[in-house]
Amino acid sequence: MELFTPAYFLPVLYAFVGCCAFAITFNTHGWEIPLAALGGSLGWLVYLLCAPLTHSPIFQSFLAAVALSLYCEIMARIRKCPTTSYLLISIFPLVPGAGIYYTMEHAIRGQMEDFWAKGAETLGLAGALALGILLVSSFTRMWTAFRVRRGERKVK
Amino acid sequence: MELDYDRLVDLVTDLGYRLLQTGAEIYRAEESVQRLLQAYGVTTGEVFAIPNCLIVSLTTPGGQPITRVRRVGPHGTDIARLEAYNAFCRSVCSQPLPFDRFQARMDEIANSHLAFPTPVILLAHLVGGGAYSLFYGGTLSDGLCGGISCVAAGLCFMFMSKVGGSNQFIRTLVSGAALTLCALVLFQLGLCGNLDKVIIGALMVLVPGIIFTNAIRNVMAGDLTSGINKFVEALLIGVSIALGTGFVLGLSGLLM
Repeated sequence: MELFTPAYFLPVLYAFVGCCAFAITFNTHGWEIPLAALGGSLGWLVYLLCAPLTHSPIFQSFLAAVALSLYCEIMARIRKCPTTSYLLISIFPLVPGAGIYYTMEHAIRGQMEDFWAKGAETLGLAGALALGILLVSSFTRMWTAFRVRRGERKVK
Repeated sequence: MELDYDRLVDLVTDLGYRLLQTGAEIYRAEESVQRLLQAYGVTTGEVFAIPNCLIVSLTTPGGQPITRVRRVGPHGTDIARLEAYNAFCRSVCSQPLPFDRFQARMDEIANSHLAFPTPVILLAHLVGGGAYSLFYGGTLSDGLCGGISCVAAGLCFMFMSKVGGSNQFIRTLVSGAALTLCALVLFQLGLCGNLDKVIIGALMVLVPGIIFTNAIRNVMAGDLTSGINKFVEALLIGVSIALGTGFVLGLSGLLM
């Protein structure tokens, strides 16, 4: 496909570098830095790969959020760290920072229609992100509870 | 031997307080304290936490109720310490320590210098801001300018935190204004082509992604009060960013 050129995937690399750098500003140390940043680029990779399927940034964001929170939950179990320490960093590329900026820019220029449209889109992106994380975290919690209960029964 | 319940409540409340101070989710703090109490054989304990308050209460076998309340002040996120306290809590739950060792280990974590030196953090701002300018489709020179603007924001934020007396919203607002000013100057000097990409890259460091994620995780755990609290915080910070950058952009529009 013509869409998937190397340049199309360049942002994945930028996301990795950006996440690494911001991980340091939140005082993450050692192996957690590249591992958390990998989650960020994974999220963006999924976002880009889903583009031809859905053509909707909000749905893409949702799928990316699901993928990256799955990655974070698994990584946290493997490394025995709080999930938060991965999730906080990995989420950065998906946070609609550009949305905030453009919404504000439209407001300053007095383009009220664009302002409402962009503002709603930004909120939608944030909502999709929230829903994706919520879904995966709730599911893993249920899964752990299920495993614990089964383990107790075996002990008896 | 009779357990010193007063001391126990003091210690577990302190650990819960420290977890909240490093930016842990509410349910993590609550669960940790609950598990610690159980590890020491207390089954009558109750824990309640919201973003700025922690209450721990238990009834001794003699029927005496003991309660501690700790107020949690404004705090940032310190992932290294959060992990350290979390690991410590896990180890105590599986193997309860004597109280003196408990206190000593906790102080050890608090005193260990896990922070990066300031130049490294500023370098991280430079690289991070630059990477996100490129990420949003800027050119290489945009990336460089984005990095520099991001350092301006970081310096401003750190300075205001150190001086104190300012809240998070004002800090974000002023940092947003500083980075926009820096980007505008660089743009006027002709060093970068896309002003919007530069500003967006630089403001990513201020974006409340962490607070937002924590808000979601609180809601997921059923702590609606804390969740809404954090959501509003994230929303206000988002508005602060928009106000800070918008103020400077608006002024420049008037002057030019």
